[in-house]
Amino acid sequence: MANSDKTATPGNRAPRSSGQGRAFSGKRIADLLGMPLLALATAFVLGAVVIFLTSGRLETVGEAYWGLLRGAFLKERGFSESLVAAIPYIFLSLGLALGFKTGLFNIGVEGQFYMGAIAAAWAGQAIQGLPTLIHLPLVLLIGAAGGAIWAGIPGYLKAKTGAHEVISTMMMNYVAFRLTEFLISGPLRAQSGSSTIQTPRISPGAELWALWDIPNRLADPLNALAVGLGLGFLAWMIARASRRKTKDEGPKNVDGNSSFVIRHSSILIAIVVAALAFIALPPLTRLWWPFTDQYDRLHLGLVLAVLAAVGVWWLLWKTTIGFELRTVGANPNAARYAGMSITRNVVLGMALSGALAGLAGTVEVVGVSICRCLPLFFSSGYGFDSIAIALLGRNNPFGILASSFLFGAMRNGADLMELSSGVSKYIISLIQALVLLFVAAPAVVRWLYRIKGGARADEAPLTRGWGG
Amino acid sequence: MPPALQATGITKRFPGVLANDRVDFTLAQGEIHALLGENGAGKSTLMNILYGLYQPDSGQISVNGQPVKIVSPHDAIARGIGMVHQHFMLVPPLTVTENIMLGQESLVDATQVLGRLAMLDRRAAANRIRELSRQYGLAVDPDATVGDLTVGAQQRVEIIKALYRSAEILILDEPTAVLTPQEADELFVIMRGMVQQGKSIVFITHKLREVFAVADTISVMRAGAMVGSVQPAQATRELLAEMMVGRKVILAVDKSDAHPGAAVLQTDALRVLDDRKHVAVDGVSLTVRSGEILGVAGVQGNGQTELAEALTGLRQVTGGTITLNGHDTTHATPRQLVEGGLGHVPEDRHKHGLVLSFPIRDNIALCTYYRPPNSHGVALDYPTIERQAAELVRVFDVRTPSIHTTAGSLSGGNQQKVIMARELSRLADQDGVAGRAPLLIASQPTRGLDVGSIEFIHGRIVEARDRGAAVLLISAELDEIMSLSDRIAVMYKGAILATVDAKTATREQLGLLMAGVTPAVAQPGHKEGGRG
Repeated sequence: MANSDKTATPGNRAPRSSGQGRAFSGKRIADLLGMPLLALATAFVLGAVVIFLTSGRLETVGEAYWGLLRGAFLKERGFSESLVAAIPYIFLSLGLALGFKTGLFNIGVEGQFYMGAIAAAWAGQAIQGLPTLIHLPLVLLIGAAGGAIWAGIPGYLKAKTGAHEVISTMMMNYVAFRLTEFLISGPLRAQSGSSTIQTPRISPGAELWALWDIPNRLADPLNALAVGLGLGFLAWMIARASRRKTKDEGPKNVDGNSSFVIRHSSILIAIVVAALAFIALPPLTRLWWPFTDQYDRLHLGLVLAVLAAVGVWWLLWKTTIGFELRTVGANPNAARYAGMSITRNVVLGMALSGALAGLAGTVEVVGVSICRCLPLFFSSGYGFDSIAIALLGRNNPFGILASSFLFGAMRNGADLMELSSGVSKYIISLIQALVLLFVAAPAVVRWLYRIKGGARADEAPLTRGWGG
Repeated sequence: MPPALQATGITKRFPGVLANDRVDFTLAQGEIHALLGENGAGKSTLMNILYGLYQPDSGQISVNGQPVKIVSPHDAIARGIGMVHQHFMLVPPLTVTENIMLGQESLVDATQVLGRLAMLDRRAAANRIRELSRQYGLAVDPDATVGDLTVGAQQRVEIIKALYRSAEILILDEPTAVLTPQEADELFVIMRGMVQQGKSIVFITHKLREVFAVADTISVMRAGAMVGSVQPAQATRELLAEMMVGRKVILAVDKSDAHPGAAVLQTDALRVLDDRKHVAVDGVSLTVRSGEILGVAGVQGNGQTELAEALTGLRQVTGGTITLNGHDTTHATPRQLVEGGLGHVPEDRHKHGLVLSFPIRDNIALCTYYRPPNSHGVALDYPTIERQAAELVRVFDVRTPSIHTTAGSLSGGNQQKVIMARELSRLADQDGVAGRAPLLIASQPTRGLDVGSIEFIHGRIVEARDRGAAVLLISAELDEIMSLSDRIAVMYKGAILATVDAKTATREQLGLLMAGVTPAVAQPGHKEGGRG
């Protein structure tokens, strides 16, 4: 019809193009990063003001932040300890982000973290002598299930009765804290001579390896096989993804008459990678391995966390499951109109969110804890920080990797800051709180820096409030 | 005598949009001045400037010849300018008197002594309201609770509210959108009366028929600029439409006779409750056949919304049956209905029809994301989805920079085109599937859209009919019902009062039915309703 139509109502003046001109222009990236970075900078400046006001000396500000920097990165094992602290943050804030995308504010990740930890601590010691290949995946699965069930209950209550998840998950937190205390000091208490109250040490097969330990672990052929299979699976995924991409770009010869090798290229690549890893990795890591420090706690959980971030991204944006979750989160009415089940997606969203939180607890038990167990006084506080981390990362899995590392570094550097400058390490909590405030109220930052442009449509459903 | 209100060279720029471009507007004393234009033409911006809600970037305003600067609605009211918004600004649980007093509380004389504890003088206010109501023929009970009033009565409350604040100049923003034709005619009588008593009225509308019924002067805006002013005597519908759109417009829908086939949708004694558990649909039995358009006319709030929701699986049916292509679908889910050949253009495109924060691409795939070719297993096939979206954006002439643009940043007309594209393309996939004639349920498909988009969407609905779809059209716009439908069912208080042939139906006859007057009781129409 009207192609001679020159009436320029606001919507129809832009030229039409089909599909190209996709999102990631420089402007869009600046747009995405700008607000969190400004929030962060502002929080640190205000933190400096508070340090100055409480200490009365300008130098203290410098000493404190220099101490923070040294503690987080420069001192011995500083950098890797920051990464160690970032690992649970990544899992937890991925869980929160997945919830936010489904329109759910899962404030109970802390409780789910505990339930994951206790489930993993139980599963890790209940069976002895299983190889890593079987035991570790099993423990991860059970830990995730612990968190998933703990979050699934409020999810079901919300879907069926409308009970708001903020209230119910918060209450579930207290139940989880006391329940784990009971289990650690009662049914699951280690009977060995140790005076500390804790669960029994998990079987070596359930442990998540520290990086320095990998060459020793690979000496066991079963472990080498586990690594080979893991890498093979990864290779298979990457090959499949890249093959689909090339198929889209040019429909070459991917139909029936292409050769066997081409049609099964992904699986062949996977087999080759797995075999190579199984055969070559053990001797190679014996010859040379970058991680030699036996006191370095950095462990394979980092790899799992990054994989989880990629997995969450894939699930949310590349699958029908994620499409449903995001639709339910962005507009439940439209989701119903489109034939999606609100109940199923709310329960699923909560359960997946809780599973990630449970994995965080699991990884802490099987990868970090010195006793390879869950001690009674196991203070975390990770869960609540993660709310700020998820928001700072804009609920984007890759943004969350960055913001988790940042918060991990702050948590890790705080001790040296206090030691070297006398400034209380709780100033870090203050800065984190300010970050949360500024990220949650972008209007404040806009006003502060005179940035034009109001709230955008895609900014809105970050958190839907009590009415949600 | 100086003009009641004069605006010269008003320019207002919003980020990326020139909403008002050197607009001149003059309201003479004691006239009804119709301001006509499509959505987004800048009418509302201009009026909001005159009412002090926006500040113009440049330009002057004068009231009664005095140059003024209106910085707030408060300021506007003080200068005798009152506005009745399209969406009423009333507090439902309060009484009429309380609503009108709100912000203008008249207090008992003890004010000075008791300070903030002063009593509201409801009686004085109620008396004043009765007086105004008598003077201008605005029938309203001051003690009634606003939430219990009909839409028409609420509108009268809004008008009294403006008069209570001593408005000499009244701006009425699309006042007839919520009224039956008869109620609209009553409003016009009231407007005439007010003008005779010295008030001046700006009447914003996009309905051409009304302009001729009531206006003394007609001004037309397009794309932020004032196109011109004409007297009704010198204007024709075609001329005004051309001024609004900027090109020749075909006002009548070009449509051939229907060739109805087998019954596709049948309901029998359907009963549905609304959100407050009151009966909203009360024993509706209707049949829509393949290749015909059944229009459901009625004033908003007579159960049409609930009827559409029940038919599309969004609302529980509490009695009766629904049959789609011979299958009982009374309790079918939306997904089952989609699979069974239903296309649904929902009444509220923001609430149900679109996910505004999602790109157009995802909105196009909203109902079919789960099945091939859009996905394989759980993996979405975005290349396929994007190819389809790009094609539909082209065919349905959606004006957008890209299929990755969020639906929320499109204009209303383009949003509706996205929904039409999604629903109609899915129906087209079913062409030729034996025993599964597609059903299109379109609720208020052109609400709030501009003339160009309306023309386009009407064309598509007729096209779907001609390809064999059964179409149920639910609309509060009588013009739309009359020009599109093959048969017209009139809904009143949850029931279908009558179903008439669209060819012989008159505006008068339908209007009476919409007001609940059945033919047995009604006087035969004494004049032919003006359809053009």
